[in-house]
Amino acid sequence: MMKAGPSQEDIRRHNLGTLLRFVHLRGPASRATLAETLGLNRSTIMALTSDLTAAGLVREELPRKPGRRAGRPSLVVRPESTRVYVLAFDVGVDRLVVARVGLGGVVLDRREASRARDAGPGELLSTLVTGARSLIRKAERDAVCVGAALGFPGTVRRTDHAVMFGPNLDIGETRLGDVLSRRLGLGVPVSVCNDANLGALAEHERGAGVGCDDLIYLHGDVGVGGGIIVGGRLLGGDDGFGGEIGHMVVNPGGLPCACGSRGCLEAEVGERTLLAHAGRAEEPGQTGRDAVRAVVDAADRGDIVAREALHRVGTWLGLGVANLVNIFNPGLIVFGGTLRDIYLGAAAQIRSVLATNALPASRERVRLRTTALADDTTLVGAAEFAFAEVLADPLQVLARLKSPEDSTV
Amino acid sequence: MSGTPVLDLRGIDKSFGSVKVLHDVAFSAYPGEVTALVGDNGAGKTTLVKCIGGIHPPDRGEYRFEGARVRVGSPRDAAALGIEVVHQDLALCENLDIVQNLFLGRERRRGLVLDETAMEEMAHRALSGLAVRTMGSVRQPISTLSGGQRQTVAIARAVLWDSRVVVLDEPAAALGVAQTQQVLEIVRRLADNGLAVVLISHNMNDVFAVSDRIAALYLGRMVAQVRTADVTHRQVVELITSGVAGEPGPRR
Ligand SMILES: [Zn+2]
Repeated sequence: MMKAGPSQEDIRRHNLGTLLRFVHLRGPASRATLAETLGLNRSTIMALTSDLTAAGLVREELPRKPGRRAGRPSLVVRPESTRVYVLAFDVGVDRLVVARVGLGGVVLDRREASRARDAGPGELLSTLVTGARSLIRKAERDAVCVGAALGFPGTVRRTDHAVMFGPNLDIGETRLGDVLSRRLGLGVPVSVCNDANLGALAEHERGAGVGCDDLIYLHGDVGVGGGIIVGGRLLGGDDGFGGEIGHMVVNPGGLPCACGSRGCLEAEVGERTLLAHAGRAEEPGQTGRDAVRAVVDAADRGDIVAREALHRVGTWLGLGVANLVNIFNPGLIVFGGTLRDIYLGAAAQIRSVLATNALPASRERVRLRTTALADDTTLVGAAEFAFAEVLADPLQVLARLKSPEDSTV
Repeated sequence: MSGTPVLDLRGIDKSFGSVKVLHDVAFSAYPGEVTALVGDNGAGKTTLVKCIGGIHPPDRGEYRFEGARVRVGSPRDAAALGIEVVHQDLALCENLDIVQNLFLGRERRRGLVLDETAMEEMAHRALSGLAVRTMGSVRQPISTLSGGQRQTVAIARAVLWDSRVVVLDEPAAALGVAQTQQVLEIVRRLADNGLAVVLISHNMNDVFAVSDRIAALYLGRMVAQVRTADVTHRQVVELITSGVAGEPGPRR
């Protein structure tokens, strides 16, 4: 049978999602702006807006500040940030963050905790549950949680959100998403995603990569993660394991990697290696972001051991970036986490290697940038991932979440 | 990205008495790009910056702005075109607050009269547009700010009035690494927002971290203006120290 064209209902759902996504990502906008940007006529915009308003997803109000033009100021459509929210979890090796993020991307409230490197999954879960509960308790009475997502430093299977491999943060067989969803009684699943994949999403939607549909995000924690956006979409591969840039072999026969291979990018530029090169591996308590920063700082002050360490790491990172540039021809490469510090501290070496090893046509226009979201890249990405469902079908999703038989209290 | 340079100097000569400082210098800066100006002490960087900013008008040569020949005989001429220079001394008044510093001597020149609230709002917007972290109250006196914060205020003052070209003379020279990183990110953001940024720096990491082009001065001559993507650290150092680079660029 021939495939039928989209029904009126499909078109309406699509338009509702498009409008909501626009004000979610780009902020409050007048009907006139919406009509122009979305290519819809004013009466359609009005109908869509009133549907979304009735559902409690947006409201229309006078702009906060009167515009310059005289006459009647036009109403702006504003996302209902405090009433429609998601929970975003950022599970780092050393640091845990939970945030309640409102529609429009506003971080309404957050809880942070440090994590001991030898802490087990039980401790991890109880910290996350405690944090999330206190956030939910503080939410407005009529607020509705429309999604939840968690960024994890490991390989995550797309179909069931199972963590397949996470050598720097071992949680055994624990199903983080399932357990969290159950213990919090959210009524929505908690999606588990690779942290750097979420970072790529975040930079694309709200960070350095807005407007760039081919970008690569490189994230440094203890290990090195990556997220690749091609044609505006996250490259997941067959199972969702794609983008494991940290395990791209840059130095065959090089340093052993936790994955069992040798000379992976992560093994050559990760935190442990940088600290070892800098002669700081054995110093107790000297790990994590601060330790990496201390090496960059020492190099800046002229410490030759620290400089040499950054130079070595910069060489391998440059080689990794050159490979990525040749394969994906990205418009943008974003360095986040500890790789932000390493990029800024070793840029001369990284770009020199890039200049000698990448194809001229691809390397000439690639922009190298640091994250525009500071330490919240994973968190922002988790929030965006969690919002995806409601943005795809705003009215249906909200109706389902608000109907009594589905809400578990 | 590239296209037409907003600032385009050609055949610039400059002497002080019998001392020739710049000889037949060409220099361009493009909107949306950071152009790093590098060279040893005495290579002529400061003089070139003063030519651009109208402090020392060139003896000979063409000064083009957005394709048209212009005469820039004073800092006032430069500012009228939207060319701002942030000098190393920053020229901030210690005892005045951030807002006062941002607007010092500016209102009258632009023929605008702004009330305190409007100035505070503009100050707030300019600063939050630059810095990742906010700086706190815009009513703090400059004397209470850190080096990086002062640099940020000086940059904000330069970009407050729809500038087109901003020249930053060693903006990270006196800063620690964390503040240097923030200033570099600000420099990059200025260009990403469409400004033509000229960055004078002797720190090759800083140059490679944020620049799109590198212009190298050697003994008063512009020995190269190259795309940063096409050169190595070693080549730039060679240009600075000997005026020529070995291998003419990496393999093609
Ligand atoms: Zn590996």
